[in-house]
Amino acid sequence: MSIETLAAPTALKRMFYREAIARAMREKMMLDERIIILGQDVGSFGGSYREFDGLFETFGPQRVRDTPVAEAAMIGIGVGAAAAGLRPLVSITYMDFIMLGLDPLVNYGAKVRYKTGGQLTAPVVVKLTAGAKGQGVAHSQCIEAWLMGVPGLRVVAPSTPADSYGLMRTALDCDGPVVFVDHKRLFPIPGDVPVEPTDTPFGKAAILRAGSDVTITTHSFMTRVAMEAATALARDGVSCEVIDLRSLAPLDIETVAASVGRTGALLTLEEGQATCGVGAEVIAQVQTQLGPMPFARVGALPAPVSSNPVLEAACVPDAERVCAAVRQLLRLG
Amino acid sequence: MTTDAIRMLRSMKLIRAFETTLAAQKNHGFQLLSTGEEAVAVGLCAALTPDDQLLTGGRSIGPALARGVEPTRLMAELLGKESGTNRGKGGRGHLSDPAAGFFGAHAVVGGNLTIAAGVAMAHQLTGKAGIVVILFGDGASGAGALHETMNIAALWKLPLLFVCNNNQLSVSTPRTEALAPKLLSDFAKPFGMPTETVDGMDLDVVVAAARKAAEHVRSGAGPAFIECVSYRFASHSTNARETRGAAELESIRARCPIIAYTAELKLRGLLDDAAEAALDQEAAEAAARAIGFANQSPYPEASEALTDVY
Amino acid sequence: MIYKLSVPVVADDVEEFRVLEWHGVVGDKFEPDGLIVELETHKAVVEVRAGQKGLFRQIFVEDGAWCQINVPLALFSDEPDEALPEAAEGAYDLVVDFDVT
Repeated sequence: MSIETLAAPTALKRMFYREAIARAMREKMMLDERIIILGQDVGSFGGSYREFDGLFETFGPQRVRDTPVAEAAMIGIGVGAAAAGLRPLVSITYMDFIMLGLDPLVNYGAKVRYKTGGQLTAPVVVKLTAGAKGQGVAHSQCIEAWLMGVPGLRVVAPSTPADSYGLMRTALDCDGPVVFVDHKRLFPIPGDVPVEPTDTPFGKAAILRAGSDVTITTHSFMTRVAMEAATALARDGVSCEVIDLRSLAPLDIETVAASVGRTGALLTLEEGQATCGVGAEVIAQVQTQLGPMPFARVGALPAPVSSNPVLEAACVPDAERVCAAVRQLLRLG
Repeated sequence: MTTDAIRMLRSMKLIRAFETTLAAQKNHGFQLLSTGEEAVAVGLCAALTPDDQLLTGGRSIGPALARGVEPTRLMAELLGKESGTNRGKGGRGHLSDPAAGFFGAHAVVGGNLTIAAGVAMAHQLTGKAGIVVILFGDGASGAGALHETMNIAALWKLPLLFVCNNNQLSVSTPRTEALAPKLLSDFAKPFGMPTETVDGMDLDVVVAAARKAAEHVRSGAGPAFIECVSYRFASHSTNARETRGAAELESIRARCPIIAYTAELKLRGLLDDAAEAALDQEAAEAAARAIGFANQSPYPEASEALTDVY
Repeated sequence: MIYKLSVPVVADDVEEFRVLEWHGVVGDKFEPDGLIVELETHKAVVEVRAGQKGLFRQIFVEDGAWCQINVPLALFSDEPDEALPEAAEGAYDLVVDFDVT
């Protein structure tokens, strides 16, 4: 046994996804009074998913502020306040509504360091909750692919409470704008989180399951679908390596390429549409490094995702669809 | 008083000389000039202290000079040189010198309004002295951002002064065809903040309005809104076609704020022909120094394209 | 009669929850409407109130511990001396109300 495996195991505590995020914010807000929270229903209500529970009681209305429904203003104010020395977190309850604030986020926040020749920077975290869960075409989108290519913007998407905690801590320390993507369907799922304050670095993917026949890269809620598919495929003797990207910009292509180098096949899975999606970028970058290999993309159908349960289920990828895609990719019939 | 008046005239003349020199430069780039609107920028800045921060839209050169940004570094920035305020990477649309109280220009019309509210919130929360001023045009006044920003500024009593430089044209669109209210300052009335509309060609009037509004904001009572009605003497930009006829332009240019203020100071006995000539000489020299510095400065290396991205 | 308490699907997507606090120890009696235990889902605190009389016999999931839906949390009975079964799953469900607070 190597020395590393004899090291003491990390003490863990099980908690809900929302508790992990709140914990990260609380820890950082205790240490840095420049961190403030802006958003709809973040104050005494504690957030739509209770992910801000208790912060208003501890830090008060100056630092935890309810805002009107005005996403453009909220993001602009967050970005402007960041450029002027605060470290705001702006909560946008639905990822869909980032569209209202794309101008201040992209044209100012992501560019201010560059356009001012380094005089100003905007350390703002924009927290968005993505994903389809019966709420209709304008309340269901996963559009992180639209943002990961914006120069100056970092984009992260945790899939576990531990990563939501660790990535949020890192996000609040970052000196530039960070988009932090939650998912509606992750909130009910508890997980183990280190008891000791721990950061999860940006630009580092996590191998959730080792495998040898195919590499599946994914992020956010789809990691659970990927793991479900991997379990089902294992029963048929297909061994899947599942990689949770966690960080979309910067993207950890090294880990993915190393994996694909071993497995020889790559399947990308996302809840957003496959066209110009996260997977398209992963595949292009991996092939740039390794040359061509068999690949496939699984994403939402190219349609708006309706609240209609039949249509939503048809659009959003599930384990069955992933299994079928893997079989087709590996020509297993 | 005398020094204030002369200083303001000097500032207006500097803007005029600087922009004239810039426009005469070969490859001057895409520029928006403040010719005719100098009294708005200078009058506003006369009400500001070193602790205040000014944000503007794309018509930034006049306001930046009025605020005290160094003309040499400003010209260098306009011409894309490394010695510019933004290392040549922002240009006119994003001029920035926070140390001089010029937080920055932003080229998206209306895009700097919410940003300014954020800067004001930071000042408020950290107890920083100094108010925040957002200068924008009639062209930005139809944007939702203005209304969202006024709402929040009023609600949170932000130390934010809204200054609308209504030069009555948005490229080719007359303001009466773009905006419904009788006065643009009427936009702010529903939010309960003090408002005023003044003649932007009359420097003293602009100064008085700016000082009064700034004082209100400094008191912690919340935002204020002033509208300065002005005329621009040239087209919207160095790229844009002029939409007004010769006769109209002639009558507009007769309202030159520099000529008017010069006459006013002479009337008051604060200025004579010799002093005026000296001021003109000073402005010309400053402009010449600026263009000389800019022309002698190098461009950034191509590798600069990838610095300060993150 | 031996009864078990397990949590069915009470709210959307709840698969796992935390036991906050048992309001009784082994041997304690309860009446209808008595508070048995407080649970926490990702959304809310759930008060589990008795819909019948009974007494606490065995607690499987302690305060602060986690449990899945449909998995027995505890066993109860009408009388103190009734023998407990080996497999809790076979017991009848305790009649309870779940009050989402």
